Amino acid sequence: MAAAGAGSGFSFVRSLSGLFRSSRLAAPPQRLSWLHTGSSLSSKSWERKNLKVFPPQQPEEPRRPAEIHHCRRQIKYSKDKMWYLAKMIRGMSIDEAVAQLEFNDKKGAKIMKEVLLEAQEMAVKTHNVEYKSNLHVAESFSSKGKYLKRIRYHGRGMFGIMDRVYCHYFVKLVEGPPPRTEQKTGLDQAKEYVQMLKDRTVIHSL
Amino acid sequence: MAMSVRRTLVGVYRGTCNSLKTVEASVEVRHPLPLVLPARTKKRYFIPPAVGIKGKQQEDPEARARAAGVVIQQQYMERPINIACTAGVFDPYIPPEGDARLSTLSKEGLKQRTEQIRQSAASQLAIRKIKEHDSLFSTKTFAEQAQEIFIEAHRALTQFNKEKLHSLVTERCYPEMTRGNRHKTIRWSFVESLEPPRVVHARCPDMVTKGNLYGQVTVRLHSKQTLAIYDRFGRLMLGSEEQPKDVLEYLIIERHLINPYGRWRLHGKIVPSWAPAKDPVIKTILIPGPQLKPWQEYDTLNYEVPKPAAVQWYK
Repeated sequence: MAAAGAGSGFSFVRSLSGLFRSSRLAAPPQRLSWLHTGSSLSSKSWERKNLKVFPPQQPEEPRRPAEIHHCRRQIKYSKDKMWYLAKMIRGMSIDEAVAQLEFNDKKGAKIMKEVLLEAQEMAVKTHNVEYKSNLHVAESFSSKGKYLKRIRYHGRGMFGIMDRVYCHYFVKLVEGPPPRTEQKTGLDQAKEYVQMLKDRTVIHSL
Repeated sequence: MAMSVRRTLVGVYRGTCNSLKTVEASVEVRHPLPLVLPARTKKRYFIPPAVGIKGKQQEDPEARARAAGVVIQQQYMERPINIACTAGVFDPYIPPEGDARLSTLSKEGLKQRTEQIRQSAASQLAIRKIKEHDSLFSTKTFAEQAQEIFIEAHRALTQFNKEKLHSLVTERCYPEMTRGNRHKTIRWSFVESLEPPRVVHARCPDMVTKGNLYGQVTVRLHSKQTLAIYDRFGRLMLGSEEQPKDVLEYLIIERHLINPYGRWRLHGKIVPSWAPAKDPVIKTILIPGPQLKPWQEYDTLNYEVPKPAAVQWYK
């Protein structure tokens, strides 16, 4: 059994090496890669999205809208509380978003407004955006930053580990007016529901 | 008080113990105290780090070492810097007004055409100095060489080949050529040369110490070029690829003469004050208006957009 195991192991290794050799000669397909090309220890990939260069467009192609990625790291605020604001401004035009955040009472709103204005300035200065109001928020989300851990003292010698929360905030501005979402009326939804009921079929029926 | 306690105790024991013969003895014998076990506090499996540690790092290890008498040799952080190019253009060439604008058949045109470098004594002196260090130098062949350097440098810029660009262009010119171009696509081509390139000016300044000679030669180049700059998203920002333009340029080529491995490299360009305005960028740009005081109003009709003064500048 040991010999068989070893034999199968050896054949397995041989097949593996064969696989490697044959596929090193031919270019490996993009989908399978044996290298872990995901995140490294400190991957600031959002900032690197601004460095991507597209090839020049042909004159008959539709004009590619400019995309500006901006973020702020280690904001002293909770990611869950920041999420509410990020969700609010998704899909708004930049002027609308800035106006809403200016009159919002939350602490994160002030920081978010600064980030948006920075991104707008960057867009006009470095990314060749023509009109600074012609931008809308395509993506906006928050994520967890690196927390500092502290001790919260309880009674009877018990303690808890307290987290000083930090969050990151990411935003992507795209040139152009904000995309219009179709507003479905109640009648439309009802019609759809009825249609769905009508489309049901009974299988294995006579 | 002890006597009264004893008496009460005796009375108590007489009442409680019936057959105690040794009543007195029992009063004197010390009863053992009930067993007292030390009760343990809750065992702390984790002791949080002490709060006072934060303020403890004020002691300076340097001060302690000095007090102890330990001498550490001063380590000077020195890094030798090699300066291979000058910081600017010394005594720039002032191109005559109307250069390449007048037809060659008129009197002015003839004068310009026959104007030779012999007229300027300082340039002659500079050329003689250059010939001392570089025996192969000659004004006739140098102009062609300069054109080649120019073409190669701009081709390397379109490819963004950093090493090649550094070898063809000085360190002063490199950031001017490449600033903002990293994430843009530049398409440039040299169509043809309209006039043979000419050496018009030469200077030999020395930097810092006497004898550290750099040679700067100005070459006049009249040519046809096409330029198209696309931004990060592939949209045309400036120029066009099909339409060539006539370009009159004054290039400054520099070399560190003392250095035996020095090479002639592009150092800059001179833009004369009478040069025609460049094509505008394909974009509307916001020009900030005048700074108004609170009581002032913006008068659209009377306000003129300030234009930059027509001054020669070298880039």
